Amino acid sequence: MSKIRHFIYCCGLLLGSLLLLSSCHSNGLGTRQSQPVRISSLSTTESQVLANILSELITHETHHKVTLINNLGSSTVTHESLIRGDADIAASRYAGTELTGTLKMKPTKDSKKAQQIVKKAFRERYDQKWFPSYGFADTYAFMVTQETAQKYHLETFSDLGKVAAKLTAGVDSVWVNHEGDGYPAFKHTYGYDFKKVAPMQIGLVYSALAAGKMDVVLGYSTDGRIKSYDLKVLKDDRHFFPPYDASVVATNQILKQQPDLAPLLHRLDGKINLDTMQTLNFKVDNDLLEPAVVAQQFLQEHHYFRKGAAK
Amino acid sequence: MTDLNTWQQLIYYFQHNGSYVLRQFSQHFLISIYGVLIAALLGIPLGIFIAHRKKLSHVIIGIANVIQTVPSLAMLSIIMLGLGLGTRTVIATVFLYSLLPIIKNTYTGMENVSDNIIDSGIGMGMTNWQLLRLVELPLSLAVIMAGIRNALVVAIGITAIGAFVGAGGLGDIIIRGTNATNGGALILAGALPTALTAIIADLTLGFIQRHLEAPQTRS
Repeated sequence: MSKIRHFIYCCGLLLGSLLLLSSCHSNGLGTRQSQPVRISSLSTTESQVLANILSELITHETHHKVTLINNLGSSTVTHESLIRGDADIAASRYAGTELTGTLKMKPTKDSKKAQQIVKKAFRERYDQKWFPSYGFADTYAFMVTQETAQKYHLETFSDLGKVAAKLTAGVDSVWVNHEGDGYPAFKHTYGYDFKKVAPMQIGLVYSALAAGKMDVVLGYSTDGRIKSYDLKVLKDDRHFFPPYDASVVATNQILKQQPDLAPLLHRLDGKINLDTMQTLNFKVDNDLLEPAVVAQQFLQEHHYFRKGAAK
Repeated sequence: MTDLNTWQQLIYYFQHNGSYVLRQFSQHFLISIYGVLIAALLGIPLGIFIAHRKKLSHVIIGIANVIQTVPSLAMLSIIMLGLGLGTRTVIATVFLYSLLPIIKNTYTGMENVSDNIIDSGIGMGMTNWQLLRLVELPLSLAVIMAGIRNALVVAIGITAIGAFVGAGGLGDIIIRGTNATNGGALILAGALPTALTAIIADLTLGFIQRHLEAPQTRS
């Protein structure tokens, strides 16, 4: 009999400590009654920083709770998560990617036009709001080490074509089969092929290049590691990659339910330029700071972009 | 950062992101515990039930065995199709994986209660309920506890993979480590607390289990 009492006692203790843990947990697991705002982000540093900026902004300025849905594999998954109602806000959507990938439309080289088309299409097709750009564009670019650049006199993608048959390329695994601006279309536009193409997680390409495992890689132009490894970014001289202006996308449903969200999200319009984004990425990738920590510092520095607040 | 070695980086990381790690840790731990707890709520009664109906035991344990053979990443993806992204999916996965150790141990624990003891219970005029509550359960508690302990250790490992479906937890830090420039320290920052949690959970439950062991088996 004492065994049972012992057992019940232990269970009670366990449950008690659980409750304690739950209560000091900021975004608890089963918060059904007050639906949290769910923000989805990709596995890239940039996307996670942006998601954390949104999350910090929302939790700091409103009473809403926020759940982050992290590490999604590609923009397609992010899109699906919004369509299926698993998430309310996508932290980083790139106009160029969506234009050719999700919407299956013709690529355009004009960044303003691309944003307009995407904004309209997302409203009509998916009932989602495409916010104005954060103020920076992230684009794919081939990059090489400074030595390789000097050895072969590389400046542009076309220069790369002359020696491509000798080089192995590390590329984003998502890009290889991307429609519109993926590898097949690239081969078509530039008319050359690499010796070998190794698809990999986008975060790994920079170190693969620096370590000499790859001769050339396709990376993001905003990545902080371009700075830390001193990589040479080549010019897309035939303008193959469409402009990838980054924006927030939210479902109109959540914006209607929580009317205070839209003005809050608009506060970030054009506030993050390329340089700022590179610095934020650099802090995470190089200085071992968590995206959450970087996001909080950034917002505090700018006083949460409140109206009238000193810059 | 490059002038620090991995261990110094690790310490630096914990100093600067301490509260974040703590948040991920509690998220991780709670997901594991909830999954195991729900499995225990279903698994223990089910184990008791099949211990009294031997014919059913093969079917139930067979099903639980089959569940266990599905690789965890595949299981997460399958459940994601139904439940979507987020913590719910991971809790459901943990729940499914915890079923086998809990059901099986409950079943074995009940089985191992000597027939003589049960007979003497019946001889004393105990009802079925009294027999369960006063004889069978106390004698099999230690074995049931061992099952829960097993389940929890496995659950902590599975929750780490849950970061892939956006559930957060310490796996998040590990994934970020694989993406970062010199991610060695980050990977450790996620992996060490995960391992430590599993070890501590194992020790704690082991301690409780030894407390519950029936006197005749205590060495």
